[in-house]
Amino acid sequence: MEVRLRVAQSLRTLSSSADHADKIEALKTLNSFLDDAAESGATSAAEREEFRRAHYSRTLRVGVGLLQVDWMSAAQRSQLVEPLFLKGPPDQALLALMEAVSQLSPSAGLDRLVSVTESFLQSGRLADLLWSSCLQSGLPGSPQLDEALLARLTALPDITANKLRLGNRPLFAPQSYYPLLASEMLAALERTCQALRDGTDCSVAFVAQTLGKVCIQGHSGPVLAVMAPRLAVCTRSDALWQRVCWKLLQNVPERWLEGVLTGLVQAVKSPEAFSRIVGNLALTNKKAQFVLTHKVLLLQYSYETQVLRTVLGHLASDGERRPLLIQVLRSVSQAWANPSAVRHTPLEQQLYVSKALLLTVSLLQDSELQELRSDLLQCMLDGVQSHLDSSVVRVRTMGMVVGECLSSRMDINGTKLRFEYEKDEETRELLSLMTPSLSSEPEPDDGADFAEESREPSASRTTTHSNPSNSDPDPDLDSDDDLTPYDMSGDQETGQASPPRYLRDCLETLMSSEDSVRVELSLRVAESLVRRNVFAAKEISVQMTKVLLHMEDKYSINGFLALRQAAMVALAVTDSVPVTQYLTAEFYSLNYSLRQRLDILEVLALAAQELSTPFADKTSPSSELTSYPASDPAHWRQVVEKRIQSKTRRISKGSTHRGTKAAPNRYAPVAGYFFFPLLRNYDKPEVTFDLLGSDHLVLGRLIHTLGLFMHLAVNAPIAAQMGAALLDFVWAVRYHADQMVRRGVLFAVCAVFLSMPSQSLLVDLGEQLFETRTWLSDVAEGDPDVDCRALAVQSLVLLDNSLKKQLQDPRALSLES
Amino acid sequence: MARPAPSPVYTLRGAGAPLNTLHFRCPAGDTPLLFSGSAKGAIHMWDLNSRRAEQVVEAHCGNSVIWLSTLRSGETLISQGRDMQVCLWDLKDGRSEVVDSVWTGSVGFCQCSVLETSPSNFLLAFAGPQTEEIKIVEMPGKNPVCSLVPDAQLGMVMCVQLWKPDSGLGPLLFAGYEDGSLLLWDVTQRSELSRVKAHPEPVMCLTFDPRRLRGVSGSCEKKLSSWMLDSQNNIQLQDCVMLVNPGVSQLRVRDDGRLLASAGWDHRVRVFGWKKLRPLAVLQYHTDMVLSVAFSDHQDPRQRLLAAGSKDQRISLWSIYNQGPDTV
Repeated sequence: MEVRLRVAQSLRTLSSSADHADKIEALKTLNSFLDDAAESGATSAAEREEFRRAHYSRTLRVGVGLLQVDWMSAAQRSQLVEPLFLKGPPDQALLALMEAVSQLSPSAGLDRLVSVTESFLQSGRLADLLWSSCLQSGLPGSPQLDEALLARLTALPDITANKLRLGNRPLFAPQSYYPLLASEMLAALERTCQALRDGTDCSVAFVAQTLGKVCIQGHSGPVLAVMAPRLAVCTRSDALWQRVCWKLLQNVPERWLEGVLTGLVQAVKSPEAFSRIVGNLALTNKKAQFVLTHKVLLLQYSYETQVLRTVLGHLASDGERRPLLIQVLRSVSQAWANPSAVRHTPLEQQLYVSKALLLTVSLLQDSELQELRSDLLQCMLDGVQSHLDSSVVRVRTMGMVVGECLSSRMDINGTKLRFEYEKDEETRELLSLMTPSLSSEPEPDDGADFAEESREPSASRTTTHSNPSNSDPDPDLDSDDDLTPYDMSGDQETGQASPPRYLRDCLETLMSSEDSVRVELSLRVAESLVRRNVFAAKEISVQMTKVLLHMEDKYSINGFLALRQAAMVALAVTDSVPVTQYLTAEFYSLNYSLRQRLDILEVLALAAQELSTPFADKTSPSSELTSYPASDPAHWRQVVEKRIQSKTRRISKGSTHRGTKAAPNRYAPVAGYFFFPLLRNYDKPEVTFDLLGSDHLVLGRLIHTLGLFMHLAVNAPIAAQMGAALLDFVWAVRYHADQMVRRGVLFAVCAVFLSMPSQSLLVDLGEQLFETRTWLSDVAEGDPDVDCRALAVQSLVLLDNSLKKQLQDPRALSLES
Repeated sequence: MARPAPSPVYTLRGAGAPLNTLHFRCPAGDTPLLFSGSAKGAIHMWDLNSRRAEQVVEAHCGNSVIWLSTLRSGETLISQGRDMQVCLWDLKDGRSEVVDSVWTGSVGFCQCSVLETSPSNFLLAFAGPQTEEIKIVEMPGKNPVCSLVPDAQLGMVMCVQLWKPDSGLGPLLFAGYEDGSLLLWDVTQRSELSRVKAHPEPVMCLTFDPRRLRGVSGSCEKKLSSWMLDSQNNIQLQDCVMLVNPGVSQLRVRDDGRLLASAGWDHRVRVFGWKKLRPLAVLQYHTDMVLSVAFSDHQDPRQRLLAAGSKDQRISLWSIYNQGPDTV
C-alpha cells in the first residue's frame, strides 16, 4: 500500500505541480525504487519488486512525457529521467520506447527519446531482456505480450527507419542492429549455460523465437555470421553448450525453422560444427528433415558447394542419421537420372544436383554401396543416357563426368566408363568432389608469411639469370653456351610433292588420288585456287562442292575440317547461285550424316556472311627482296597525283576526307537462294532424317542459320518476304522441348525484328505480331533456360523499338494509309 | 626470346648453273675472293669487295666442276671436273691457265682432298677408276704414292679427307663409302686402321677436325653421325644429331672450331655449335637444294663469312657468330 501511495503521489506531482523542485523530488523518489545498489534506507527489496511489477509501466509513460518538456536541464534529464528507462524491467521499457517512437512526431522530444533508445541498446539491455525471458520459464507469461515484444525486437530497424527516415541513427541500421542482437542472444545463452551449471531452470524458448523470427525476416545472414562461429567454438568442448544449442533449435517454431537452418548451413564452415550445433534435429523434427534432406538439396539450387558438403557431411557423420543419407541418395539419384528433369530444369540446378549426387556417393561406405548398387547402376545408366541425349554441351559433359565418377566408385567388375571431354573449371570441380576435402575447419592467419616465402625464390632466380655471357671469355671451354641460338621455328618439314597449280588438277587429286601427301596439299591450296581463278572455279563449282562435301578425313590431315570448310565457302562465294542451289537441295536429301548436314549449314552461313561484308580488295604485298621502289605502281600514282594537286587551283576546298569506299552488297541479290530452299521440306520425314523428331540438333542449327541469313539480309529488298516466311516457319516449333531449338527460334525472331523494315513489320505481319508479343513475354518470364529468357527480352525490346519508330514517324503513317 | 632468324648479308647471282663447290681465298691485304664451280663447267672468281664476278673461266670442257681448292701460297687453284680431270691453274698476275692436269678415271662424284706436305709438294687423294679404289699421288710430280682398296665390297668411294696427325705418323685418310662405311686408312702403311658402319645409306659427306680428333658425316637420312678418334686410331661413333629434313650435301667446320655448317637438301643451311653439336641457326634463303657450304678464311674474325651455293644458281653469304668469343 505504502508503495502505491508514494508512487501515485509522485506521479501526481509530476503531472500537476507547477513547482520544478517538487517535480525533481518526485522523480528522485521514483528512481529510488529502481536503484538496486542504493542505500537500503530509502526502499526495501519487496517494495522495489512491487514497483517493478505494478507501477513501472505508468512511470514509463510519465517518463516519455518528461522527455518532451523543456524545463529540465540536460543533466537533470540524464540523471533522473533516463535511468527510469535503463534500469527497470527491459521488456516494458522497450515496449514503451518503441510505442513512443512510433507515435511522436519529429521534435526535440523525439530526438531525446531516440537517444535514450540508443543508450538502451548500447548498455546491453537487450541481453538482460532475453535473459529475463529465459528465467521466466515457470511463469505463464502472456502470449500477447511476448508476441508484441518479439515484433518490436525483430523489427526495431524498420520502426525507427520509418519514423526517422534520413535522421536514422547508424546503430539502428540493420547491418549494425542485427549483429548486436545476435551477440546479445549469445550473451543470454551464455548466462543460460551458467545458470544451468548452477542448477537453475531456464528456458530458451523466447531466444529461439527471436532467432527464428529474425531469420525468417531475411536477416539470417548477419545474425548467424555472428552466432555460428561462436557456437561452433563453444560446442566443441562443452557438452552443456551443445545441449543448449539443440534445445534452442528445437524451440524454434516450425514455421521459422527453415530460415534458421538454411542460414545456419551457410554460416557454418564445416559439417562437424554443423552437427554439433544441430544435433539430431533432422530425426526428431519432420520440418527439419524435409529442409535438410529435400529442400536444400533438390528444390533450391543457389547455394555454394560448401553448403552441400555441410549438409551431406552432417547426415553422414552419425550412425543414426545415415539412413537419411541413403534416403537422400535415392532421391538425388532419381532426380539426376530423370530425363524430364534433364530437359526442363535450369542448367544451374542440374549442376547442383550433380554435385549433391557425387558428394553423397563419395560419402557412402562400401557396404552401403553394395546394398544400393542396383539402384545406383540404374540411375547411372538412365542418367548418363538422358544427359548424353541433350543438345547442350554442358549437360552432356556433366553426364560424362558424373557417369565416370559413379562407375569408378561402384567398381563394376573393374570396368569403368570413360569419356572424352574437355577439362574445364566445371568438370574439375565436379571431379574434385569425389575426393573428400581434408581441411575441415581451416585456420585463418597463415597467408601472409606464405606469400612472403613464395616471392623469395623468384627474386633470387632472376638474379642468377643475369648475363651469363660475360662470365666466360675462354673459347676453348667445352661448351657452346655462349652462342645464342637464333629462332629456328621456321625449320619445318618440307613437303615432298608440290601442290597443284591448277584448279582442275586439284579437283582431280581430291577425287581420285590415293596419295595422302598430294591430297593434303591439294586440300590446302584448294581455297586459294578457287579464289584466284574465278572463271575456272565457276566451271566446276558444283562438282567440286560435291567432292568436298563427300570427302572423308581418310589420312587424318591436320585441320581437315577447317580446310574443307574454307574451300567450300570459297566456292559458295565465287559461284553463289549454283552452289547454294546444290547445297540446299542436298540438305534435305537421303543418305547424309548429321555431320554433313551441319557442314552444309555452316558453309552456307559463312558464305552468306562473307558475301554480306563489303568486298575488301587486298593487293598482295610483294616480296621485300624483289620489290624495287621504281617499279611500284602505287608510287608513281602518288607522285602524279601530288603533281596534279600542286598544279590545280581550287576555288573552294571540299572536305578532303574520303569515306569508306562504297561497294555493292553481294549478298542481297542472292539471299533468296540461301534462304527459301531450306524452308521447303522441313516437315517431310525421310528414312534417315527426321528434322521434327529426333534430329532436333540439326533443327536448332537450321533455325539459327536461317536467322543468320535473315540478319545478314538487312536492307535487302527481299528482307520483308524472308521475315514473314521465317516467322511463319518458327511459329510451328516455338514450344519445342529442346532448348537449343528454342534458342534458335528466339534468335531467328530477333533477326526478323532487326532486319525487317519497320513499315513492313506492321503491314505484312499485322496480327501475327501481337500473338508473337504475347508468346515472347511468356517466354521471357517462364522459360527454364537463361539464354532463352534473355533472348526473348531482347526481341521484345527490338519489337517495341521498331513499332515505336514506325508509329512516331508521320511520313511512314501516311504511306501506310 | 630467341632472335629472329638471320638473313643473308648479300647474294651473288648470275652463275647460270647449280653451284657444286665453293672455296674462299681471303689473304690479308689482298682482295678477298670466292671461287665457285658450276654444273656447266664455269669457275667464277667473285670479288667480295665489289661483289661481282671478277673472272669467269670455262673449264673441264663444259663438264660439271665438282671441287675447287687453292694451295696455301694462293697462286695455284685446283679444280676437279666430271671429265675425270683434276686441273692445276696458275693464278699469278691475274692469269688463269691450266698448267697441269691429272686423270682420275673416276666417274663418281667423290671430291678430292689435298694435303700440303711441304711448301712445294702436296698430296692429292681422289677416287680411282676401280669401284672402291682411292688413289693418292704426290704433286706436282704426279708420283703415285699408293692405291687403297679395301678387302670388302663397300661400293663406290663417296668422300675422302686427308690429314696429318700431330703424333708424327704419316698422313691418314678418312673415306666414306657407298654402303655407309667409314674407313680410316694409313697412307704410308697402306693399311686399314679402323672401320665403322656410320650410316645405313651412302656417306654423302664428311668433315674431320684434327685438333679435336672429331668428325661428323652426313648421308641422305635425317641425321648426322658424329664420331671420335681414340688414341689407338679407332673410330668411335658418338651421338647423332637429328635433322628436320633428310639429306646433307656438305659439312664444314669453321677454322676456329666453333661452328659446323651443313648444306641441306631441304634448301636450308644449318649451323651447329661444334663442341656439343647444339643447333644454333637455320639459314633459309635458297629455293632449291644447297650443294655446298664454305667458311671464309679471313684473318679478322669479324669479317668471317659463311657462303652457301645452291642448285637455284645463287650463292648466299651470311655473317653470323663472328663477333669474337663472347658475342651473341
